[in-house]
This record gives sequence, structure tokens and C-alpha cells, in this order.
Amino acid sequence: MSEKDMNDETLEGLFAQARADPPQVSAALLARVVQDAQHMQAEPRGRVRNWWRALGGAPGWGGLVTATCVGFWLGVAPPEGMPYLADQIMGQDVYVKDTTTDMTGFGWDSEEG
Amino acid sequence: MRHGLPDPAADAEAALLARYACGDGAAARLLAAQMTPRLYAHAFRVLGEAAEAEDVAQEALLRLWKIAPDWRTGEARVSTWCYRVVANLCTDRLRKRRTVPLDDMGEPADPRPGAEQGLQQIARADALQAALETLPDRQRQAVILRHIEGLANPEIAAILDVGVEAVESLTARGKRALKAALESRRDALGYET
Repeated sequence: MSEKDMNDETLEGLFAQARADPPQVSAALLARVVQDAQHMQAEPRGRVRNWWRALGGAPGWGGLVTATCVGFWLGVAPPEGMPYLADQIMGQDVYVKDTTTDMTGFGWDSEEG
Repeated sequence: MRHGLPDPAADAEAALLARYACGDGAAARLLAAQMTPRLYAHAFRVLGEAAEAEDVAQEALLRLWKIAPDWRTGEARVSTWCYRVVANLCTDRLRKRRTVPLDDMGEPADPRPGAEQGLQQIARADALQAALETLPDRQRQAVILRHIEGLANPEIAAILDVGVEAVESLTARGKRALKAALESRRDALGYET
């Protein structure tokens, strides 16, 4: 048989039927797609999202906040026997070495009057 | 890269996507209702398998939700971008399959003389689907996008990442191959010889 037997008109008829009767989307698929959208929308975005992920997400942030609180409390009320670091640091003698260049050797100071 | 037909004024989907990116949940539902049937239909016609087509459609839209905050309106139409993702996902899946010749596929139902018209329509739809599945991937996608989805050649070119001339060639060769594949079933499909 030649190609003419299945002509353009016949083929177009099959296409038209396919257009008129498209595959039906299941309600379950539509629900999954919407659920995906809601899930993605709930995530923090942009820079905030990047920082959030860089610090390990919720577990990372939880650990960070806990460590900060414990550290602060140890600073305010250290347990007995623990050296009081603030006293040690603040109580140290401090001196400043004079590194000013001696300008008198060339007699500039006398010229300036 | 060809994006094709950037027309932000006419791209209602881009407006919905922007609203979704700003936290509008209703926009996501509207966009999903508009895009899912089209993407699923294309994937189903290309792959011929419902479960795989559902996975492809869901994956394509998941990528859309992910890219929403960074979407640059005017560079591409949302529908074109989604079709492109679906086309690529289908191509990946087809590459993993072995080619199945038309003769090895199940014969469509053979409507007896006087059988209900509905049966004949089902037989014809099955025959078209089986014939489509014999085409090479690019021809198959081009024919479906042009003649069933009804897209314009420039948009198909953007989806398949080829030139418009290549689309014309793909659809022409695809139609010839379809006619040849369907010719042997002409009688069974109720066409007069």
C-alpha cells in the first residue's frame, strides 16, 4: 500500500481525537504537586535560607543557641573552683612601650622653635 | 540558548509564579491546576505509561517551585520552561529503555462491524499511541507538541533546543513514519481501503 492510503486528513482526524480526549490527571497527582509547592514555600528563602543551611538548619541553630546561653551563664555565675577569667584578664599589668622616634638628633626641633 | 517567545505581558503563568514566590499559596494551586494536566499529557503521550508520566510531571513542577524565587521574568515563558524540563526528563527515561518494535506491542481492540463507535475511538487512540511510540524520541516529541498539544514551531524549537527548520523537518518525518506505522492497521481501525 502506498503512503497515500493513510492520508493527511486521516492522520489529522486521529490527532483531533487525541486533542479532544487528553489523558486525565489523577487527583492524587494534583494533590502531590500542590503539596510540593506548599513544602517549598515553607522553606526560608534567599540569604536567610543560605545562613540557615550553612549553620546546620534547625539542629545546628538549636546547638548554637544552647551553647551561647550556657557560656553566658558560666560567665555570670561560674562554679566554685573555676578560675575567674575576667579577673585574670582585667587584673594583668599593662604597659605601653614608647616607640616615638627621637627627632632631636638633626636639630629639627630647634628650627621649628 | 534559545528561550523563544518571551512575552511577559502574555505570560500569565509568570505572574502566578511571582505571586507564589511572594508567599501566595492560592497562586501555587492555580498554577498547578493549569500546568499539571498539560505536562502530564505530554509525558504520557511520549512515554506511554501513566506512572512514569506522573513522576515526570511532578518532578518538572518541583523544579519550577524551586526556581520560583530566582525566576527572571521575560527570559522564557513558564510553560515553555516546564515543557522543556518534561521533554528532557522523558528523553532520559526513553534512553534507559530498550526499543520495542511496533509488531511486539499489543494489537488494538478490533471493533467488529456494527460495534459501538466508542470502541472504535478507543482502538484508534491506542493505535495512534502505539505508532507514536515507534518514532525516535525527537520526532515523537515534535509531533506531539505540534499536532496534539498545538504549540507553534518557535516554541517547540525552544523546548527541544533546536532551530525552527529542524522542528519542521522532525514533524514532517514523524508524520511520514506515523502514516507508515498506521497503514497496516487501516482495516482494523475502521478506515475504508
